[in-house]
Amino acid sequence: MANVMDFDDMLRKIKDRQWALADIDWDAPGAETISPELHAKLKPFMADLMWIENVGARGFAAMAKKAPTETLREIYRYFHAEEQKHANAELALMRRWGMLDGDEIPQPNVNVKLVIDFLDQYADDMSMSFLGTVIPMLEVTLDGALIKFIMDEIEDPICQEAFKKINADESRHLAVDFAVMDLLGHAQMRKLLVDLVGGWAKPSLIIGVLSYVPLLNKMRDNIVAMGVDEEKLYAALKRYANVGERSEFARRLPMYQIVKMHGGWVINRGHPYHLLADTLVKVTARVPKVLLRKDPTWSKEITYRPAA
Amino acid sequence: MTDTLDVAVIGGGFAGIGAAIRLKQRGIGDFAIFERGTAIGGTWRDNTYPGAACDIPSRLYSYSFAPNPNWSHTYSGSGEILGYIESMAAQFGLHEHFRFSSNVTGIAFDETAGVWNITIEGRADAVRARAVVLASGPLANASLPNIPGIEDYRGYKIHSARWDHDYDFTGKRVAVIGTGASAVQIIPELVERAAAVKVFQRTPGWVLPRVNRRTNPLTKELYRRVPAAESLSRRAWFYGHESVALGVVWNTPLTRVVELVGRAQLRRQVKDPWLRRQLTPDFRAGCKRLLMTDDYYPALQRDNCKLITWPIARIAEHGIRTAEGVEHQADCIVFATGFDVSKTGTPIPIVGRNGRVLAEEWQRGAYAYKSIAVSGYPNLFFTFGPNSGPGHNSALVYMEAQIDYLVGAIGTILDRNLRMLDVRRDRQDRYNAAIQRRLGSTTWNSGCRSWYLTEDGFNATMYPGFATQYVGQLRTLDLGDYTVVPAGASTTKPRIAAVS
Repeated sequence: MANVMDFDDMLRKIKDRQWALADIDWDAPGAETISPELHAKLKPFMADLMWIENVGARGFAAMAKKAPTETLREIYRYFHAEEQKHANAELALMRRWGMLDGDEIPQPNVNVKLVIDFLDQYADDMSMSFLGTVIPMLEVTLDGALIKFIMDEIEDPICQEAFKKINADESRHLAVDFAVMDLLGHAQMRKLLVDLVGGWAKPSLIIGVLSYVPLLNKMRDNIVAMGVDEEKLYAALKRYANVGERSEFARRLPMYQIVKMHGGWVINRGHPYHLLADTLVKVTARVPKVLLRKDPTWSKEITYRPAA
Repeated sequence: MTDTLDVAVIGGGFAGIGAAIRLKQRGIGDFAIFERGTAIGGTWRDNTYPGAACDIPSRLYSYSFAPNPNWSHTYSGSGEILGYIESMAAQFGLHEHFRFSSNVTGIAFDETAGVWNITIEGRADAVRARAVVLASGPLANASLPNIPGIEDYRGYKIHSARWDHDYDFTGKRVAVIGTGASAVQIIPELVERAAAVKVFQRTPGWVLPRVNRRTNPLTKELYRRVPAAESLSRRAWFYGHESVALGVVWNTPLTRVVELVGRAQLRRQVKDPWLRRQLTPDFRAGCKRLLMTDDYYPALQRDNCKLITWPIARIAEHGIRTAEGVEHQADCIVFATGFDVSKTGTPIPIVGRNGRVLAEEWQRGAYAYKSIAVSGYPNLFFTFGPNSGPGHNSALVYMEAQIDYLVGAIGTILDRNLRMLDVRRDRQDRYNAAIQRRLGSTTWNSGCRSWYLTEDGFNATMYPGFATQYVGQLRTLDLGDYTVVPAGASTTKPRIAAVS
């Protein structure tokens, strides 16, 4: 089934449904619903989630440069900004819950940081078909699963209100992601293979894979640490394959097949892949901070303030 | 003065004044210049924002028939340019021809009499003229962007083309919308005065260096004493700019060279990689107007300045809300959003032969014969009409050629007592087909959105060639291109080819 989308209509919808931090009363009652026990677990989780929004943001920023039409470029410019908005809203929630020490912005875990570093360095040089296949996976698993988790577990009405808005944005992101994947699948097989070989032939991609693999397992560890079933993450991973399989064109994308296969390994805890992934989680946890790159200046734009 | 003017010039800017001078020099004195404002100068009277200047060297941004040896710098500011315009008006005795506060609201051709009826706001009777020069200029009307909530904003709003010199920016939080030619001149001035400046960018442009030197007094003296030396200097500037066309007008390897210069400027002036990325254009150099400035990038990096590239979601009571969810509050919004350039429709209602309305014909995009005349609208001449825009050379060079052509045509109308000089439709169509074909290979039509193009991507603005070519095609008035009807002749007889 072809996933046909009117991108002009989608862009209009995106513009019409813009919301701002100022639309939410961050000081309204309900913050007390977070128990001290949940508070302690939630803090690192929210910090990671907030930074994962930036993974999506950086990916969309790269897509905005690659998209074949002005409408799609504009859509990705909005998506880039919306991911930043989600990070801002999550920071505002952290502030509401008393998780911030003054104006200090919490740091991401090393795995998120490695992926951000990687994207910041290499995403602009990747092909549209490469980015267009990988970004949906990141969106659907990390963003999608973690947001769903928050909505299920946190009662705070302001949190619910914020994540309802975030979720609505994300559903538009995913709709476009999959429509674009479908569109990319229309390309000639020769071009798809050239993109695939060209993409993998770059040494930078190895760095990307080595950053991405432990990230998924690390987030699974985080979810488990919160006392939640890891199946929620796996369900999101399955969604990528389920939606992708519905489009005969997306199925033609070699990179889609690779990402899907990888997803299959991740959700199979008995697969030997986990020996590697879990090892990488341990190894990356020991990476000395001095070896990590300085945060890119764009990552300092995050703010919990509705007005600047 | 007779009941019917020989010529009505609409607009008292650079083009109107140039046309008036050349009409006088041609011995045509029965003309009036209708100016909606109360002073002369057009765009240069209106654009007085801080830092306003021309990005074409003054030696070239002036009329060859009115040389000025006294330009103070290579590139002049708006004040000096306006002074030049005023001095021309005084030198050629144009003030008696001016009719200020005369806002022309429409013109209609009376085919029987062969005259244009010109209606003016607040005046019951129409002014009649045998020929009309529409010198209203493409940059006459300021344009506010179509952003939701613009009326809700409670702070102060200023458009670059209607600057309020009484507004004190000291200590204010200022938002600037737009990063085009006016913005890059305003921003360095604003950061000097305001407490904070936020620059809202939609698409970054190519920025090239502009070396602005003070003119040596000896050079001025030389130009005063030896006008040929100034003329030579003007020629040197002209051909220098002509060579730039090879990279700016057409997509060629030289376009890469222009882009390399832009990238080098960016790399030299901006150290932060993300800011550099935000400022790197994603279209070919020349596709949109090139920006010439050395001050813009340093100004953006000042502590009190910030570049915002998030899409604008709406304007709220206290500031600008962008798609990352933050309201950027400001005491004042400066709209450096350019002009409402007529690419479709006409600046005023124009009714031609048999009641035809030019705005309807131009609905999908304007066109004309050699940018000057339109079939069905006799004895009417445009300055800066469709497809006469230069991307690489001085607008004044183009304007001068237009003026000389139209003054020649008006001279013919008067000398031969013509009722109508109406360009032939077939010649006009052939000309435009060639223009549109040639535009296909230019940078302007290479895929970016710019004010040169209509919503449909039709280029009604630019001339696809060298200035030399443009000027060359206007050097002679070929009456074979026109339907020529003498006074008293029947209109059913379409053409008297023997006139020439």
